[in-house]
Amino acid sequence: MKYQLVSGFETHVELATDTKIFCGCSTKFGASPNTHCCPVCTGQPGALPVLNKKVVEYAIRAGLATHCTINTITHLDRKNYCYPDLPKAYQISQFDKPLCEHGYVELESGKKIRLTRIHIEEDAGKLVHERGHTLIDYNRGGVPLIEIVSEPDISSPEEAREYVEKLQLIMRYIGVSDCKMQEGSMRCDVNISLCPEGSDVLGTRTEIKNMNSITFIERAMAYEAERQAEILDAGGKVEQATMRFDEATGETYVMRTKEDAQDYRYFPEPDLLTVHIPKERVEEIAASLPELPLEKLRRYTGELGISQHNARLLYKYKAVCDFFEACLALGAGAKNTANLILGTVYSTLATEEEKEAFDIKVSAGDMAALVKYVDGGKINVTLAQMTLAKMLKEGGALSQYITESDLAGVSEEQLISLCREAIANNPKAAEDYLAGKQKAIGGLFGYIKRATQGKADIRRAEEIIKGLLSQK
Amino acid sequence: MAQNNTEQKITREQFLSLARLARLSFSEEESEDFIRGFEEMISFCDGINSEIEGDASTIREVGSREIALDDLREDSVCPSLPNEKILSNVQGEHGYFSVKRVVK
Ligand SMILES: [Zn+2]
Repeated sequence: MKYQLVSGFETHVELATDTKIFCGCSTKFGASPNTHCCPVCTGQPGALPVLNKKVVEYAIRAGLATHCTINTITHLDRKNYCYPDLPKAYQISQFDKPLCEHGYVELESGKKIRLTRIHIEEDAGKLVHERGHTLIDYNRGGVPLIEIVSEPDISSPEEAREYVEKLQLIMRYIGVSDCKMQEGSMRCDVNISLCPEGSDVLGTRTEIKNMNSITFIERAMAYEAERQAEILDAGGKVEQATMRFDEATGETYVMRTKEDAQDYRYFPEPDLLTVHIPKERVEEIAASLPELPLEKLRRYTGELGISQHNARLLYKYKAVCDFFEACLALGAGAKNTANLILGTVYSTLATEEEKEAFDIKVSAGDMAALVKYVDGGKINVTLAQMTLAKMLKEGGALSQYITESDLAGVSEEQLISLCREAIANNPKAAEDYLAGKQKAIGGLFGYIKRATQGKADIRRAEEIIKGLLSQK
Repeated sequence: MAQNNTEQKITREQFLSLARLARLSFSEEESEDFIRGFEEMISFCDGINSEIEGDASTIREVGSREIALDDLREDSVCPSLPNEKILSNVQGEHGYFSVKRVVK
């Protein structure tokens, strides 16, 4: 039988605050174990939590950027469960009054993945299982999280990828999280069920916990859908269960079934006050939001006329967009700016992190000036690329690299005489070309590039040389 | 106590379920003791309930006390405790807390 995949996501995103959600301990990643700990975040008797303002503000930002309604009266709840990653034997979370509700994330197709809610909570400690014992590091315990819960609107692994990527970009654009899946600052629980094609009866769902890579999410979903289909085709019933994905084998396996489902006995957190958020503050935060990724992508390909491919390479990194747009604001043309960034600048930024940080030695002012020379035909693209490459490497102002004589350019007459010279000085290359070796003409271009320090318009030179040779 | 004590307020099953959730085990005798203890606590709360019935002004719900967003704690780092201090009352290992292995 044919089935339709039905999937919803619960995504945990660590907020980029300096301190934890209920105490002043640092949230910095990578410290020695249990050095960012205090009586509050290790659950010592009598220690009381104090809510971090920025956590609420960041969560509101995230809610507004995903079109949620913000509950201006919100409180926290105690979720009870006993596991050594929680020193208090409960997690402070939100149950019936989440901060944000009823939002959506739009995909490029226009499809909207609805969000049920976004709530704030504290992260748990990190466990390291060794032989015979388990080691615990509470540095991560109390780090603020938002949990973003989607409706079961995702219908394929590809849609899941886009959903996660879009969420990631939104959170980075609004500056609330770096969403580094490999460092665990973004993790997904994936719910999956199948329903017979054409039917709207939801099947029994399973949940794959704690996925921290988009590729693995796609693989796990495909595997789990296949597994469920086989059970259903054989006339069996899918058992409601919590699963894990084994990255080594690419298979999912059951962690626990419905029988051992937890009873969290939620109740309002008595150690914290109900938070009142004035409407004006919500409006203020809304007004401070930047242009969001999908709007940007559509503007780049629409209004700015950049190709889909190029626009996509730019909009993935907020810092790149900021630089690009600063150049445009100074009068540089969109296409030439985009091409120089994607070609010359990107070639010096090898990793995702480097592009993310976009820490380069060239100012937007110099970049814009350089692009304007190209836009205005004062210098050609090759010279611009060479200059930019040098500036990226050595720093310094544009005026140190491009002189008045460079800007004078190479006139048509000069170029024609240079082409004659090139042919006269390289008779072998000219002969070879005429004998059918297309590539031989490259030797002639080399001569012209050297003679003009790259200033000549090589495409024009090619036309001239071919014209001259055809007269031979 | 105003409530009728013969009515059982906590069943054996409820007690065992709570014990399981708290990862605790009890002997037969201890269980009886705890069930009795829980019953007394619940009766005590019922007592308070019947006292305040009809006069809600004497109580305040936890959730009724509010704090404005701007009065919450600022996001500035305070020193944490040194690792030795954090681990001073527990069995530590290379700076970690250490417990019996919790997964199979
Ligand atoms: Zn702390």
